[in-house]
Amino acid sequence: MKFTKKFAAVAVAALALVGTTACSNSKSNDSSSSKSADIPTKITKKTTVVFWHGMTGTQEKTLQSLTKDFEKKNPNITVKLENQGKYNDLQAKINSTLQSPNNLPTITQAYPGWLLNAANSKRLVDMTPYINNSKIGWGSAKKSDIREELLKGAQIKGTQYGIPFNKSVEMLTYNKNLLDKYGVKVPKTMSELKAASKKIYEKSNHKVVGAGFDSLSNYYVLGMKDEGVNFSKNINFTGSKSKKVINYYADGIKAGYFKTAGSAGYLSGDFSNQKIAMFVGTSAGEGFVKMGVGNKFQYGVAPRPSKYNMQQGTDIYMFNKGTAEQKAAAFMYIKYLLGKNQQLTWADKTGYIPVTNNVINSSAYKNSTKSKVPAQLDKAMKNLYSVPVVKNSNAAYTQLNSIMQNIFAQAKKGQSWNSQIDAGKTKFQSAWNQ
Amino acid sequence: MKDNQKKAWLFLAPAIICVTVFSIWPILRAFTMSFQGGPLIDLQFNGLSNYQYIFSDPEFWRAIMNTAIYSFLAVPIALIISVVLAWFIFSKIKHTAFFETMFFMPYVTSTIAIGIVFRYIFNGEYGLLNFLLKLVHLPQPDWLDNPSLSLVSLIIFGIWSSLAFNIVILMGALRNIEPNYYVLADMYGATSREKFWRITVPQLVPTLAFLLTVNLIGAFKIYTQVYALFNGQAGVGNSAMTAVYYIYNKFQIVGTPGVAMAATVVLFLFILFVTFLQRKLMKKVNS
Repeated sequence: MKFTKKFAAVAVAALALVGTTACSNSKSNDSSSSKSADIPTKITKKTTVVFWHGMTGTQEKTLQSLTKDFEKKNPNITVKLENQGKYNDLQAKINSTLQSPNNLPTITQAYPGWLLNAANSKRLVDMTPYINNSKIGWGSAKKSDIREELLKGAQIKGTQYGIPFNKSVEMLTYNKNLLDKYGVKVPKTMSELKAASKKIYEKSNHKVVGAGFDSLSNYYVLGMKDEGVNFSKNINFTGSKSKKVINYYADGIKAGYFKTAGSAGYLSGDFSNQKIAMFVGTSAGEGFVKMGVGNKFQYGVAPRPSKYNMQQGTDIYMFNKGTAEQKAAAFMYIKYLLGKNQQLTWADKTGYIPVTNNVINSSAYKNSTKSKVPAQLDKAMKNLYSVPVVKNSNAAYTQLNSIMQNIFAQAKKGQSWNSQIDAGKTKFQSAWNQ
Repeated sequence: MKDNQKKAWLFLAPAIICVTVFSIWPILRAFTMSFQGGPLIDLQFNGLSNYQYIFSDPEFWRAIMNTAIYSFLAVPIALIISVVLAWFIFSKIKHTAFFETMFFMPYVTSTIAIGIVFRYIFNGEYGLLNFLLKLVHLPQPDWLDNPSLSLVSLIIFGIWSSLAFNIVILMGALRNIEPNYYVLADMYGATSREKFWRITVPQLVPTLAFLLTVNLIGAFKIYTQVYALFNGQAGVGNSAMTAVYYIYNKFQIVGTPGVAMAATVVLFLFILFVTFLQRKLMKKVNS
């Protein structure tokens, strides 16, 4: 009897202990920001780097083959690629894992906006010492040859936490056969886009829609930027400039010459079925366009018909955990991915843009026969803009998509959308103010 | 009066610890987090502002409205259809086992997979449903891309996917009805209609009550169906936003766990209230 009692007490205590440890947030690894002195320049021990990413299809395969090459050249380093699903899922995974930092990967793909909290609580590694290290890094940011706006886009509150990797811009993809048939030139400005779309819609007896934009958030943000308004909390959603941007698209939807992607998410499906003649979407989507179009018709790619273009896509960020070796190895891996040949392969296979000037301007890239983006990229990247990384900007940017969808759905029904703009104002503000 | 045996605690311990750690603790944590602001890794007390935020957020009201409409429409309709189908399989059709298996199939299929198939069926331009509607000269609405129809599509999808479970449970209940009741009824010359309403339905009431409770609570927590049907978003323009979708979005994507937990507490109270009402109602029906 006594024995059982004692045993019971011990058992309960043990179980309780298991319970509490499972729940406790270990808060180690908060300190130790890397100074250039502690960066190992050679990896002599077996080191494993975990890399979370959201790449699928060709993108994932290309990443895998680049990684294999890296491992061959650095036999002491193993890079574990872990796919975390779509970008949304990756973001959710990072958000929830930030609570138990030991389970975080060494490096991850991410948009800077996702990591604002992580940066605030010092969970990220400042990449500057690594970049400036002449052995592991390049010696300086300038010597890295990474395009300046892209490198700047990977900063959070002025600190270089990220290195740009799979970046893209928006491009106008058009059906060359249809444009020729209806005598329409490739539009270079938004007003030309409108005129061209109208012409196509009318000449095709309302069978072919002129144009559309994949990302409605980008449409609004860039439309406003072209009007001289930066994306911030202070945007007057019901103001005249905002209404001008909204009405440009909504008028077209009401009249039938513009359309949106709806729940399909992308217009490339409609495009390859020749239901739409042009669309603005990410350059990284070219692979899907090519596959859908096949031999049905000729497609072309042109710069987005606006002054500003969005630089989008993720960068690579490093978490403040793991050994100095792991961090150094991870950085060597990132540097490898940004090497000339690797960038060429990456861009050629995926449609993402190279991030180093050297490759962007190289003839090998520009004369690529596999992709139509390179030839137009220089023009398309003249004025790049990115969503500023401040509190809730990411939420407001995402919310814009649903606000626009509501407005345009109203326009599609042929009803007035003013009430939806008013409703949008409330939602927009509520997204900023949470 | 005998005391409880102390040894009982030993045997209860695993269950008690599991329930405390995985059920009671999260409820308490959710409750405290609903009064905190900031990101998950740096929560700070901020009073009632999360509640103020959700009550002034139009999206939250839309989520609650949608959830309520979905629950109070999809659940009863699905139950009625289930009873009818189960009765048909039970009494009118041969090879019952085959049909029972057929109807149970959707239950073991992943909701995401079914959602993808439904997306093709519902597609406004190339969809099967609109193709059939066209054949019989009916209007072909844009099931997925018209915000005012999102909820209708979701309800149709919800009804369809809840049939499987309901039918199997109801079949079990039908089999348990004492066959002699029907024999006696036949002896006294009851019509099949009378047999259904006077014998079958009253005998099914406990099962129906169970299904109603389970389905209703399930419907309040709808998330996967929305995600699957609308390709990872809550319908065009968030028109099919549901309470759990709102909570998930605020917690994981937007990164405001406090707001998400405030919404959770409200949803919890709402479900509690509805379940309470339902129990009252059932007691009345049973007496």
